[in-house]
Amino acid sequence: MTYDEKLAAFTGRIEGGDKVEAEDWMPDDFRKGVLKFIEMHANSEIMGALPERECLPAAPSLKRKMSLCAKIQDEVGHSQLLYRVAEDLGKSRDAMYQDLITGKSKFHNVFHYPVRHWGDVAIIGWLIDGAALVTQAALLDSSYAPYTRVLKRICSEEQLHLRHGEDITLEMSSGTEKQRAMFQEALDRWWLPIIHFFGPRTVVEKDLLLRWKVKTRTNEDLRQEFLDRYVPKITELGYTFPAPVPFEQDGHWLIADEDIDWQPLDAIKRNEGPETSRRLGARKEMYDTHRWVREALAEPSVRAA
Amino acid sequence: MFRRAGHREPFEHCGNVIAPDTEMALLLAKECFLRRQEGHHLWVVARSNIHFFSDESVLELAADKSYRFASAYRDVVGKRERAHDRVKELQAS
Amino acid sequence: MTDAFVALVTALADDELILGHRHSEWTGYAPHIEEDVAFASIAQDEIGHASSYYALLADGPQEVDALALGRQPDAYRNAVLCERPNADWAFTLARHWLYDHADDFRSQTLEHTSEPKLRQLVTKIRREERYHLLHADYWMKRVAQGPVDARTRIIPAMARAFAEVGGLFEPFDREQEALEEGLLTVDSPTLRDRFTEWASSALDELGLPGDAARATAPSEFVASSSGDLIAGDGAPAEPVAFTSGLGGRRGVHTGDLDELWRAMTTQYRENEGATW
Repeated sequence: MTYDEKLAAFTGRIEGGDKVEAEDWMPDDFRKGVLKFIEMHANSEIMGALPERECLPAAPSLKRKMSLCAKIQDEVGHSQLLYRVAEDLGKSRDAMYQDLITGKSKFHNVFHYPVRHWGDVAIIGWLIDGAALVTQAALLDSSYAPYTRVLKRICSEEQLHLRHGEDITLEMSSGTEKQRAMFQEALDRWWLPIIHFFGPRTVVEKDLLLRWKVKTRTNEDLRQEFLDRYVPKITELGYTFPAPVPFEQDGHWLIADEDIDWQPLDAIKRNEGPETSRRLGARKEMYDTHRWVREALAEPSVRAA
Repeated sequence: MFRRAGHREPFEHCGNVIAPDTEMALLLAKECFLRRQEGHHLWVVARSNIHFFSDESVLELAADKSYRFASAYRDVVGKRERAHDRVKELQAS
Repeated sequence: MTDAFVALVTALADDELILGHRHSEWTGYAPHIEEDVAFASIAQDEIGHASSYYALLADGPQEVDALALGRQPDAYRNAVLCERPNADWAFTLARHWLYDHADDFRSQTLEHTSEPKLRQLVTKIRREERYHLLHADYWMKRVAQGPVDARTRIIPAMARAFAEVGGLFEPFDREQEALEEGLLTVDSPTLRDRFTEWASSALDELGLPGDAARATAPSEFVASSSGDLIAGDGAPAEPVAFTSGLGGRRGVHTGDLDELWRAMTTQYRENEGATW
């Protein structure tokens, strides 16, 4: 079969709802696009561990200390699963890790922001994991099957994280004035980055991953689902929103496009987020100073004595 | 990595780890894949020891193999009726 | 609940909490992704053990947290070795190996304690610790027999950790009463000598300097042509007298605990009475 014939057959399969496996023939733009997408997801899990890790030492109870540690452990585990899937598309984990720490490849915007106190843990566990679940649930039907298989486990663990985040939120929200103020202060900082998380309006004709059904829904569609689900819950807890403030219309919670300031997201795309270089620097330092660990784990073992 | 939980289901594949030897693979797999007690038994196998047909289409059933499936025997109710009718026929004569 | 019981269990709990806290600082940051996951479980286990020990002294979870997070630094009774910063993966491994084996020595004797609740708890904890020992032993073997770079780091790291191991066996507050009450069946100095004798020969077998306290500073190591590391100037240091790393059992700590305590307890203490 010629390349064009293979491409036509492949396109037909995708349009018919068929799934793709790692060993299948794929057009180059499909392979590159899926690899980049999964790589970014893996990067986001390992970088997402850092803001939460910064909150862990100060955990205000032993139960929360253990459960937050377990949550971060899950995120690292997710990166392990996702790098594994990405590797089978033709890039080694070490190459992906190096591209991450040198700033060549990207990770989700929300993990470029600082954390200050336990209110951040509540927001990250409830709203950010809530946002991630909305997008990840949609990806369960992706055309790239190995991705959907790890997403099953990832989604079920994110469900747990969501409950953990909501538990913390509810505990704080029924607590002291100071605890409620902590949650509100965190919400004031995180709301805009969470909106940015869904990205700008999808340009359907140009979206390669949508065409190949690796993604199945548009950004604005996913964002709408998130707003409809969480804005009422946040409002019921008596909190207020910073810009972009959601408003109700025809049974949905909307935000006005003109209220969204996209500049912080643009800065992050240039690797100029508030915590970007510090966090990448930390990972790079660990990578550079612990080459001996990777060497010691290389097979067959190098014997010095 | 393969794990088995309880007695009903056989071992299932649950993932892979990067490790230099089987001892470390076991130590890592325990926490990566069984930290919620998803299994009571754990096997690790080097990926190089997993083999498969290079052309998996050889696994397809190309011709009718309905004799291997219970669905080939769906008309048992009708056949029982016909047999009982025949008995009545023979008893009447 | 006697004073000796409180003193003993507080020290056991504090060792686990402070070390568990240090271990948890690696979560999301360890030098190998799968190892990050495995080591996080070890951190959670230690914090869980601390919680269970505190529960023997407390009336409910609020009091457990008050014990864990509400005291002043000089009220903690952990060994100084546990409060040392992680520094790097080599020190972390060395301390993990020493601590979990020392803990094993001690908990073996605690399985004969006169106090049934403590006995039951220690038995349960020992089941979990089996994995910690497998993990520590594997890593120690791997780095001790591994590439030169790994050995270059583990040898001084083990020396630093070993120098302070005596603090794990410093006599508990009211130890004499604990022995009389049968809470302890072996006195701490005896246990220390048994442990350090075992540890020295175990390290010897691994190909690490047996009396690790004899190791000199890293810059003085020179690789011989066979790959062995020898002290640059050939002069051994003083044999270890276990005078380092003491004070913890009496509430005498280092600046490292102050830094750890600030990070670990400030949010709790600034919101005392709040539930989380």
